[in-house]
Amino acid sequence: MAPNQHVLLSPAELAYLHEALSLTPPIRPDGRAPTQFRPLVAETEILPGTNGSARICFADGTEAIVGVKAEVERTRGYHGDDEEEGGEEKREQEREGQDEWVELTVEIPGYREDDASTAFLAAMLSEALLADGGFAKKLWINRRFHWKLFLDIILISPPLSYPLPLLSLTTHLALLSTRLPRLKSEGDEDPFFDDDWAAAPYLYPQGTATTRPPITLLVMAVGRNIIFDPTKEELAVADVVLAVSVGEAATDASSTKGKGKAPGRSLRLLSVRTVDPPSRVTPPGVPNATNSAYGIAASAQKQPEARTVEAQAVEGVWRAPRGGAKPAVMAALVQKVLERGGVADEVLDALDAVELG
Amino acid sequence: MADRRRVNGPVGATIPPVFEDEDVQVQATQRTTRSRAPNGIRKMYLKTGVTPSASGSAYLEIETSGKDGVSGLKLSCTVHGPRSLPRLSPFSPHIILSTHVKFAPFATKQRRGYLRDPSERDLGTHLEAALRGAIIADRWPKSGVDIIISIIEGDQGRETSGAQGDDTWDMMNALSGCITVASAALADAGIDCVDTVAGGVAALVRGSGENDTARIVIDPIPSEHERIEAACCIAYLPARDEITNLWFKGDMPDHDMGIYSELVQQGIQASKLANRVLVESLGETVK
Repeated sequence: MAPNQHVLLSPAELAYLHEALSLTPPIRPDGRAPTQFRPLVAETEILPGTNGSARICFADGTEAIVGVKAEVERTRGYHGDDEEEGGEEKREQEREGQDEWVELTVEIPGYREDDASTAFLAAMLSEALLADGGFAKKLWINRRFHWKLFLDIILISPPLSYPLPLLSLTTHLALLSTRLPRLKSEGDEDPFFDDDWAAAPYLYPQGTATTRPPITLLVMAVGRNIIFDPTKEELAVADVVLAVSVGEAATDASSTKGKGKAPGRSLRLLSVRTVDPPSRVTPPGVPNATNSAYGIAASAQKQPEARTVEAQAVEGVWRAPRGGAKPAVMAALVQKVLERGGVADEVLDALDAVELG
Repeated sequence: MADRRRVNGPVGATIPPVFEDEDVQVQATQRTTRSRAPNGIRKMYLKTGVTPSASGSAYLEIETSGKDGVSGLKLSCTVHGPRSLPRLSPFSPHIILSTHVKFAPFATKQRRGYLRDPSERDLGTHLEAALRGAIIADRWPKSGVDIIISIIEGDQGRETSGAQGDDTWDMMNALSGCITVASAALADAGIDCVDTVAGGVAALVRGSGENDTARIVIDPIPSEHERIEAACCIAYLPARDEITNLWFKGDMPDHDMGIYSELVQQGIQASKLANRVLVESLGETVK
């Protein structure tokens, strides 16, 4: 399990870390603010053989590359009724995509590709991408043909932290830089494309207020604090971890003119998933009162092990959390991600600054 | 060398013409509509201890929607363990949970292979997250437990065509069933849990009419609604008022956060109703 990989921290270290993160404001081991991301290096169009590609390198040394490739494929289930009724507008309505047109694979070194955690990562990323149904529509060529898009996500460093935010941001950039050849044929003919790559339009047209690919953020709660982009050590003491996918809403006039314009972009919530926090499998500490090798209890040799485990929580002694999270905590996490001018905004702004090509 | 002496058929596959009868079209557009109240779940049948060789097992069946030709969900779950870990595995202070969810090859319209596909693995991960919160894991150090669920029949209407893509929404229903049945099987195996966890699904649906507004229903059947805009599946512990797993999917603008929290609330409600069935069934087992 990628999120559940063993962290070599003792119960005492875990208790200390948990306490530091539950202070107000929390003190993170690397001195970041709770909503601050790790610095990253990003570049796009690094692979000439692909339709779009990107590479992101986090400051902790984890690095991912994504390549997007497209192929023309015949659409199944087209029965060839050639009634030419309706005009261009009808054709626009017919544009509909299928989720099978996008194939996303994740490769993480050290993990089998059919590992459950890898499948979970891939499902989470493709779920966000296909959530609004608009993405598959972009791949429609005509009624007989469509583009099939292959997104290959490769983590090229060992997974030093849970790689979800890294993979999501890299996929976002790769899709932004994806271009498909310009279509020259018309209607339902066999597609014929312009061979001038410079004329190829972007999959997500730039400069216009259209939608962008979604991003998935990892957010966790410790006590009352909400912490973004947690490292592996921080995840080891999390009470609850959520992966929240957000997309940017198309700015339509009706939504902006209503209330006083809040700064920042309006976002859409696309998917939320609980990630099993690795804190549940951390080793518990033993309080002095029940430690058979120390203090008063040392004389009572026949200490049943079960009582050691079931003892009441003692301050400063680590215990793996039990149970789930209160609904209010989960709602607060999602609310914090969607906040206008919040972290999601900041990340999208930063990704805007990455120049394409 | 191409054969030039004979009149050959066209290269590549040809598709036979499909004629659409008037009757067929009428039937296709007619959907079964939801007859239950928006805040009611379907009846379910839950029985524990069905597999004698396993240390715990349960069988769950959710009724059909009352219309012929619509199959209900049928799940069987077995729990093996707790048993000691293999000799070579490293020390673990907690019980090691492994979940395995598999659709029977004939469970859905599209045949499933014998190997688990990514969506089934994904379901297994969700289930693991839901159960790990409920199990008191530190009572069994150095041991493991296997939870195996086979979905004998999926929850798909037969009158809808295979091309209709409501697969992801079916997954949520399947997951909520998996959580409930696994919780019953864990209780049957005598593995200590903080509470019984049950799954519930709520969805934001829109009818076919032009001026139909979106409404929230619990335990949705995808074939009964024209469009599902968003759905969430929740695993909930009623005694502690805690969520162990939340899976939301849909498209929701940020000014609709009220709808999102309402959806979660309804999901909790659905889970509470399922939990009542679970508790009753476990009570019968104890007697």
